[in-house]
Amino acid sequence: MKPLKLTLLIAAVLAPASPIFADDLSDLKAEITQMRADYEQRINQLEQRLAVNESSTTELNDTINNAPPSPIANSSTSKNSFNPAISMVLNGSFNQYQNNPEDYALDGFALQGEGELGKQGFSLGESELTLSANIDQALYGQATLAIHEHEGSTEVEIEEAFIESLGLGNGLTARAGRFFAPIGYLNQRHIHTWNFADAPLIYRGLFGNQLSTDGLKLAYVLPTDQLFEIGATVGAGDSYPGGGDHNGIGDWLIYAKTGGDIGIESSWQASMSHWQSNPEDRQYSGGHSHGAEPDTSALFNGDTDISNVSLVYKWAKNGNFRQQNFSLVGEYFLLNDDGDITHGNEFANYDGKQYGGYVEGVYQFNPQWRSGLRYDWVGSDHKASDNELLADAGLDGKYNNPQRSSVMVEYLPSEFSRIRAQVNYDQSYNDDDLQLLLQYTVSLGAHGAHSY
Amino acid sequence: MKKLIALLPLLFIHTALADINIFACEPEWASLSEELGGDHVTVFSATTGLQDPHYIQARPSLIAKARRADLLVCTGGELEVGWLPLLQQKSGNAAIQTGATGYFMAANFVRLSEVPIVLDRSQGDVHAAGNPHIQTSPVNILNVAEALTIRLQALDGANAALYEQRWQDFSQRWQLAINKWQQQAAPLKGVSVVVQHNSWGYLFDWLGLNKVAVLEVKAGVPPTVDDLNTVLNKLKVTPANIVIHAAYQPSRATDWLVDKTGITKVTLPFTIGGDAESTNLFTLFDDTIQRLLDANK
Repeated sequence: MKPLKLTLLIAAVLAPASPIFADDLSDLKAEITQMRADYEQRINQLEQRLAVNESSTTELNDTINNAPPSPIANSSTSKNSFNPAISMVLNGSFNQYQNNPEDYALDGFALQGEGELGKQGFSLGESELTLSANIDQALYGQATLAIHEHEGSTEVEIEEAFIESLGLGNGLTARAGRFFAPIGYLNQRHIHTWNFADAPLIYRGLFGNQLSTDGLKLAYVLPTDQLFEIGATVGAGDSYPGGGDHNGIGDWLIYAKTGGDIGIESSWQASMSHWQSNPEDRQYSGGHSHGAEPDTSALFNGDTDISNVSLVYKWAKNGNFRQQNFSLVGEYFLLNDDGDITHGNEFANYDGKQYGGYVEGVYQFNPQWRSGLRYDWVGSDHKASDNELLADAGLDGKYNNPQRSSVMVEYLPSEFSRIRAQVNYDQSYNDDDLQLLLQYTVSLGAHGAHSY
Repeated sequence: MKKLIALLPLLFIHTALADINIFACEPEWASLSEELGGDHVTVFSATTGLQDPHYIQARPSLIAKARRADLLVCTGGELEVGWLPLLQQKSGNAAIQTGATGYFMAANFVRLSEVPIVLDRSQGDVHAAGNPHIQTSPVNILNVAEALTIRLQALDGANAALYEQRWQDFSQRWQLAINKWQQQAAPLKGVSVVVQHNSWGYLFDWLGLNKVAVLEVKAGVPPTVDDLNTVLNKLKVTPANIVIHAAYQPSRATDWLVDKTGITKVTLPFTIGGDAESTNLFTLFDDTIQRLLDANK
């Protein structure tokens, strides 16, 4: 009874109110239906997007799963996969001189080996064959053979043949064999990577183009943010301006190198090096590099040292070398000889100095054109107890301050070929000489990396 | 002296706690290394987005950086063949020698396309292993990221769980981003394009763009007038909507084509730092797709 009464009461209370709410209620219903439709639509949209996502994710996962996380063998394997990297550099030239190149001399220096001028007219330059490979987990090996024609016969020369440690660790690198001595900047680079067709006068005068060492080299890179590298070599001491057989260490060298970046666009490197030897019977061939017999040559015995400073600066827009770049290189050498010169049974005390340097700047306008200027000079100051012996050795100088200015233009059809034209105004001996050198250089085979 | 000896172990503890020193050859791998390594790595990028990675000088600064690196993260596939071997050789660093745990070449973890059938330099500076410009597809980057995670774990086992976590996080965000990019780029499917240098293969495969012609017919050799005229004739038969060149390259050939045909030119960042908008891997693709969409309007 009680619940009924209550229901009735509620009904009575609510009854008059019901019509008032009726409109709102239907509105509410409509609103709810609208909302439900909205939500259903949105859910549908979400479901669709999810489906799309799911399908593309599975697609993606398929792609990812298909690609294994382990290395993919992208190259074929066959027996000759282990062949060393082979590259060959070919070059030929056409040279014209105003003077007779046979008369060429460099005042105050006795020219050696390849220090003479290139052949007049057409000639085949030095062909270089380089083979290199990792020998095993610890060693890398490289050999460069230079093949050239000399007075009608073909000569093969071992330019470099060395083994080198593969990441000895802690910044150490050891090398053994024949290698370009780490003196100066250009000396360690193969001639085909030089910016000019011929060696700077000081390289020609001191080394007959390049100084090699048969021996050992140790280099250490310090664990610093700026590069500091120090190193030393010991060698046989038999390559010019060394000479003779040595039972132990015939020459030694120390060097230090540093360098870094200046912003993104510029970089630099500076080095100092010092080489020392005690040549036995260093042969002079009377100012001309060939033809003299040992018994008719003047000979030097004593101590020799050479010091070098070098500076390299390079610039490229945005640091992007491919397009435009500029490089500036300068080096200075000083040689001290202290000993004696003998010629037959004549004898003289001798104290000699030879020095010189070069500055070269090269600008690359675009990937296919480069142009550069070079100025180089040498000088000497020889004291001997008998000046006649200086003349016998070819060390006498009548014309002071041999110097030369060069300009070159290069066209590079691709990264692997180069055509170069160079003009020298050479004031290194009696008559000033205007020289024209045209040269092509190409590289076949393996893509060698070039050092800074 | 005793105090010094007592301090000695601290030195080693310090070394043990030190970050992995990463030498990244290109900015995309520097960015990926940071994504995956977080606070546990110190990353150096050897190049910027405006430099051609084929032609980098083995500068003294790079040798110094390589000397102290624990891990090389580079593209590989012969892209850095002109400079990276020298850095390995001169650094005297055992950790980054070929085959070591610290030698990571991204291209080894991606199936390279456009492997040349004929290997001959008359065809330009071709890459024998295939197209090494793998960073133009985000799918490749995901593959590389997974492999790089494994490598980081191998180098720094103590933090393996952390690298796993970072990889999970990255791969989730990256996959969502890929989905987003794919939806955004849907209108680009089938669009015909001309490229200046043939380095966009992975991007085109991913988005379904249709490459009609290449201006630089021989890789690494600037196109001749004849080459360009051939392209011009080709376009008369099969027209294209867009011509693409990378920010690090001069656009001379592209501009020539724009001048001749009125085709729309688009400069793509190619990698992080290629333009102001591309500051990390995510914005690199945001920007790349946006630029393509804008050009296709």
